[in-house]
Amino acid sequence: MGCSKRIESVSLVAAWLLLAWPAAVAYGADASPARLSFNRDIRPILSDNCFACHGPDNANRQAGLRLDTFDLATAELDSGTRAIVPEKIDESELVARIISDDPDAVMPPPHAKIGRLSAEQVETLKRWITEGAKYEPHWAFVVPVKPETAGGIDAIVSEKLAKRGLKLQPEADRRTLIRRASFDITGLPPTPAEVEAFVADTSADAYDRLLDRLLASPRYGERMAADWMDLARYSDSYGFQVDRPRPDMWPWRDWVIKAFNTNLPWDQFTLWQIAGDLLPNASDEQVLATAFNRLHQQESEGGSVEEEYRVNYVNDRVTTFGTAFLGLTFECCRCHDHKFDPLAQKDFYSLFAFFDDIDEAGLYSHFTQSVPTPKLRMLDQTTAAALAKVDEAAGEAAAEYEREESVARGTVAYWIAGKLPMPVALEAAGGTIPGELVRYSFDGRGADGTFANELGSKEPATSPGDTMVVDDSRGGRPCQAIKLTGDHPVKTPVGNFRRSQPFTVSAWIKPAAQYDRAVVFHRSGAWTDAGSRGYELLVDGGHLRWSLVHFWPGDAVSVRCTEPVPVGEWTHVAVASDGSGKAAGLTIFVNGHPAATTIVRDSLTREITGGGGDTITIGERTRDHGFKNGLVDDFRVFARALSPLEVRDLAAPGAIAAALAEKRDAEAIGDYFAAAFADEPAAKRAALEAARRSRDDLAERPPEIMVMRDLPQPKMAYILERGEYDKRGAPVEPDTPAALPPFPADQPKNRLGLARWLIDPEHPLLARVTVNRLWQSLFGLGLVQSPEDLGSQSTRPEYPEILDLLAWQFSHSPADGGIGWDMKRLIKTIMLSDTYRQRSIADAKTMADDPLNVWLARGPRHRLPAEMIRDGALAACGLLVEKMGGPPVKTYDMPDSFKPEKADTGEGLYRRSLYTFWRRTGPAPVLESFDMPKRVVCVARRDTTNTPLHAFVLMNGPQFVEAARVLAERLLVEHDGQAELALDRAFELLTNRQPDDEEQQILRRMHTAQLDWYRSRPDDAAKLVAIGDKKATAALPAPDLAATASVVNALMNYDGSVVKR
Amino acid sequence: MGFGGLALADMLGRSAAAEQGGADGVLGGFHHPPKAKRVIYLFQSGGPSQLDLYDHKPLLKQRDGEQLPDSVRGGQRLTGMSGNQSSIPLAASPYAFSQYGDSGAWLSELLPHTAKVADRLCFIRTMYTESINHGPGVTFMQSGSQIPGRPSIGAWLDYGLGNEHDDLPSFVVLITKNKGGQPLMSHLWGAGFLPTKHQAVRFRSGSDPVLYVNNPPGVSAANRRQLLDGLRELHEHQFAGTPDAEITARIANYEMAFRMQASVPEVTDFSNEPQSVLDMYGPNAKDPGTFAANCLLARRLAERGVRFIQLYHQDWDHHGGLKGGITREAKETDQPAAALVQDLAQRGMLDDTLVVWGGEFGRTNYCQGLYKPGQDFGRDHHPRCFTIWMAGGGIKPGTTYGETCEYGYNIVKDGVHVHDFHATMLHLLGIDHERLTYKFQGRRYRLTDVHGKIVKGILA
Repeated sequence: MGCSKRIESVSLVAAWLLLAWPAAVAYGADASPARLSFNRDIRPILSDNCFACHGPDNANRQAGLRLDTFDLATAELDSGTRAIVPEKIDESELVARIISDDPDAVMPPPHAKIGRLSAEQVETLKRWITEGAKYEPHWAFVVPVKPETAGGIDAIVSEKLAKRGLKLQPEADRRTLIRRASFDITGLPPTPAEVEAFVADTSADAYDRLLDRLLASPRYGERMAADWMDLARYSDSYGFQVDRPRPDMWPWRDWVIKAFNTNLPWDQFTLWQIAGDLLPNASDEQVLATAFNRLHQQESEGGSVEEEYRVNYVNDRVTTFGTAFLGLTFECCRCHDHKFDPLAQKDFYSLFAFFDDIDEAGLYSHFTQSVPTPKLRMLDQTTAAALAKVDEAAGEAAAEYEREESVARGTVAYWIAGKLPMPVALEAAGGTIPGELVRYSFDGRGADGTFANELGSKEPATSPGDTMVVDDSRGGRPCQAIKLTGDHPVKTPVGNFRRSQPFTVSAWIKPAAQYDRAVVFHRSGAWTDAGSRGYELLVDGGHLRWSLVHFWPGDAVSVRCTEPVPVGEWTHVAVASDGSGKAAGLTIFVNGHPAATTIVRDSLTREITGGGGDTITIGERTRDHGFKNGLVDDFRVFARALSPLEVRDLAAPGAIAAALAEKRDAEAIGDYFAAAFADEPAAKRAALEAARRSRDDLAERPPEIMVMRDLPQPKMAYILERGEYDKRGAPVEPDTPAALPPFPADQPKNRLGLARWLIDPEHPLLARVTVNRLWQSLFGLGLVQSPEDLGSQSTRPEYPEILDLLAWQFSHSPADGGIGWDMKRLIKTIMLSDTYRQRSIADAKTMADDPLNVWLARGPRHRLPAEMIRDGALAACGLLVEKMGGPPVKTYDMPDSFKPEKADTGEGLYRRSLYTFWRRTGPAPVLESFDMPKRVVCVARRDTTNTPLHAFVLMNGPQFVEAARVLAERLLVEHDGQAELALDRAFELLTNRQPDDEEQQILRRMHTAQLDWYRSRPDDAAKLVAIGDKKATAALPAPDLAATASVVNALMNYDGSVVKR
Repeated sequence: MGFGGLALADMLGRSAAAEQGGADGVLGGFHHPPKAKRVIYLFQSGGPSQLDLYDHKPLLKQRDGEQLPDSVRGGQRLTGMSGNQSSIPLAASPYAFSQYGDSGAWLSELLPHTAKVADRLCFIRTMYTESINHGPGVTFMQSGSQIPGRPSIGAWLDYGLGNEHDDLPSFVVLITKNKGGQPLMSHLWGAGFLPTKHQAVRFRSGSDPVLYVNNPPGVSAANRRQLLDGLRELHEHQFAGTPDAEITARIANYEMAFRMQASVPEVTDFSNEPQSVLDMYGPNAKDPGTFAANCLLARRLAERGVRFIQLYHQDWDHHGGLKGGITREAKETDQPAAALVQDLAQRGMLDDTLVVWGGEFGRTNYCQGLYKPGQDFGRDHHPRCFTIWMAGGGIKPGTTYGETCEYGYNIVKDGVHVHDFHATMLHLLGIDHERLTYKFQGRRYRLTDVHGKIVKGILA
């Protein structure tokens, strides 16, 4: 395949310069209040109503009209009219069409079913044309410029609020503020002591220091990782239909937590995940980060088409890259040019070309647990040292073997030179070939239909009657052979070789066609369903290919003959493995001589046994292509790597005897002697095999994780017509979309270059997208409301100035006046603002006029995310286990999942929610009910629903019932059984403030009623307090405990507990 | 999940809206008067063999064991299951077919109960799809897209039409218990990119039909009421100082939750069903979680105003051992499905209830793997044609629609694509499928993507 992927993109530079207008006009905001702005006023109308047929999509454009650029919108059309004639609404066909009453003429046309433009929209368009129909590039594609104002966020908000006659709310009270800040930074509520300390601290920098303390907490990384896991579509299962658990990806999650806690600069955080493997001398940690690109769903449903899913995976990488880092939606241009944004279908596949160069399979293995390639071996120091040691031992054993082998060869050379007598063992062998396990000549079948093993009465081969014994001739002599149907196997009882075991298989074969793919024989459970684990001789595009496989294609050794195997002729084939597990240790002999081969793969790292199908099968494999109509004869298996002379003898019997008699070819006889009969080499060979076996055993142990590693030779990518995997169109080179900044000329056209293109401070999107998502995380709503889409269909931000101010600062170095991608500083910058600190309630009119709080005329208020509701309750009740990282845990609700799993006991029930085992087709139902996404695809925004199902979870779910009882017990003990005091304290723990008088009265009334209830029903009380893994220990009467626990549980449902205000 | 958004509407007196029908969804009403007010979709997961149940092909008997002619196959993409098979032998159905009812519908001997209601059904023999595997196939039937991530049919309806019921969700999923076969995935009844509240509530067969709907041990409705009253007082007190609509919504949700705690057990309690009705659904009707019990529960949910009731019955994926498998599944589903149609008709509900029976694709006319005529065998997936039936709610009864070739491999006339099926279903529900849209990632999405034609030939 061509490797001409690396081309210059000069024309793109020109295209980009055209777009690089001064940013001041980009938003078009407020330059002159009277004048309309294209981006603010016009683009939304045109994009939403017109671009679908008159926009960037080249394939579906109607009437040759394109309204997304000035030149084309004002060009003369075939009809002789012009859609837009600047300043002249009477001559502008667009105006005539949008006001027409003729159903055949009016735009948008009735069949589009998107309705007519409103009178207001029509007037706006007319006014814009009258004003000269000025276009502007879409704001998000214009690089933010260095902010000139010094006022920051608050000045920008205050100025705009003033125009509405509003101002910022006063700062929230101290308790509300520390609660808000604690949840936002750590995902957990403050402790009462922390609250009191903050309330008491009246120094000017108390809040500043609070933020520093919270940002330094290890809980910060856990809270931030939860958001990133939604984008990364992190899951502990493979997804799609089979959705097998995949409990080995969590080291990536732990890396994310660590990266946040150590404040890895965001540009590096981004680069490592996209292309850490391509960094010079990449560390394991940098490679591990690239698991981000492998977290997409994977399939293993039987019968799935592998290429279809491989393309699917690459698509997912591209769309996730687009959503997470560019805030652009690429899903549309997978099948056609984007209808709204200047993204062509070619752009999609040019990005695809960056992400498809890994040695991956489209299906993971059903019958084995092999980690799909490419992968990273997770080595701790002890294992690494132990591995180095066994590697060294194997190397030494190999050297010793070679020494003995060479001595044995020397003995033969001396004999042939007449200086020594013939070695005794060689003479005694009489030209035999030792180590043969079975031999099938297929000369007829036994009475029971089996094929006899010529070496003894045991171990016949078997096959259904459909596999016929046929008469044929070979070398002028008649012979009998089996004719394969391609669907019926011939099964032998031997061949379960490990990768350290030398072995040879030999047969005569007669292919019936130039097979594109055909299995001659194999030892494996299945093809893709077992990742091809085992070994196999295939005809591949007409050539013989011999492979040992742990997981195809990335963990295998494979060699392929350079010459095709003849069709319709008998060929003797022997394939051998020397036990080294390297491609150099594989040999294909054709007609008795080693054939010229090329190395297809040389990357075997693990064992080749397992996966089912433990013995050799000829001519057929489940769901693979069989050796249809091919003939096979004289099938022999040896538990040794035969020497060339022995193979020559198999192909032409008598070759050994002749060589010995004639005493010619000292080298071949020497090899034969050393390989088959000499004692010393045999001992060393056994020692070598043992050393390799020890090494292989140890190599099985380290866990592995899917990561990115590019193939030495990039794969060719193609535009796929209509997005269909098997409809390849024109080939494409890796490149970035033409509408975005040009790819840097000095960077390689691979993921590393792509990542560097992205993290350039002059890139218009990465910083904006990141800032916007962080804003959403803190305020509940992004500055741009669609964090996944900053394209032309996105809602224009109310405060683009804030977005640009923060984006510029974030992406520029401190030397330039920025903060150099420092995420903690970015958080602090936002949280120090008065805008963030204001109280979350405004006057009723403002609340009604701006229900989503777009204006920022009040502080953030939203229901806590799923993790924080659960973690907050556990923390308040003292149950939270603050252990970081490690394998996922199974919570109380897992048995109620759609894919039920047994719940953990003990610690696993009380870990932070981000450690919960996440299975895509049956997620933990408690978290799911609070809007945690299934993580099937990249998600940049969660819903925040408020439904009756939440009441069931919080009032009846064992996690919360138990937590309430544990807290009630502790507080009753602390307060000597005085329930009133206990409940006041519970209120404080859950809401971070003390109850007022009326609230105290309500709590007391609730408690009294519950106590009366349970005192008359002590059995019920005993049942309630018995719920949960953690048993009540204090000597409290069950009714007392049940009553207090019930009220505490009710409090967990209170707005003050589950809403951040 | 079907009713979360109602909380505020409830406070504002939404009973009037409910009477108008569909008024509280995003559409604010119907596009045209609906023929069906609700749907019961009996999804048969795995791909039931149309050739052994509905689509009678005498030619296969004559050609039993012969190779499928290339001219018939026409380069069709086969699955990885049989795609590399060296031979593809035709396999006749081992079951006897007869015509039933005034309409003369052809049915195999596996469906004696369906045969009795044949005149009420409309058989579509020419359904076709684009998927050759289960995961994408079921996802396509349920969401109009092969790749997970789009809203399911019921979620679209909840989004478009809202909920007419105060204390039950509008979209409920029931799954036959203890079934093997191809796994189901919760995204099949998910909300995709719509707000999650539109996803189905799955009723389980155990003691907790909805997650944690029952009070924990030691808690009764009366003392729960006391606690909720206290919680309400706390919220009202808070609202006085913090006038935020979120708080009133929360109060309403807790009231609705309390009502649901009564309504969910009521609907799942069959004790007041007469024996004659139970008998009609068959011997498993009182065993919760069986297909029979789920069919009866579906009728009870429909009576109480639930709009979309999605049943799943697994294990129709008969690659091998077809005889045993299809006999078992037919026995489990034939009587209850027929009873449901009959029961709805008796109550006058069939006129405005749409019942659908069908899977994600059909099965091949050839044998997967090795074939010996007369012996047990298997059939691979076949997307090119398969049979479903529809009944009630605006469907022309006693009809057979579409025609497949004499090999039962290709459509000859009147193909119905998955998108057409969805368009027709929405049409019957009073919705123009092109006008129920949701803007996501800058694009308007709909159930039928950019396709879908109403199948006029099956409309009453």
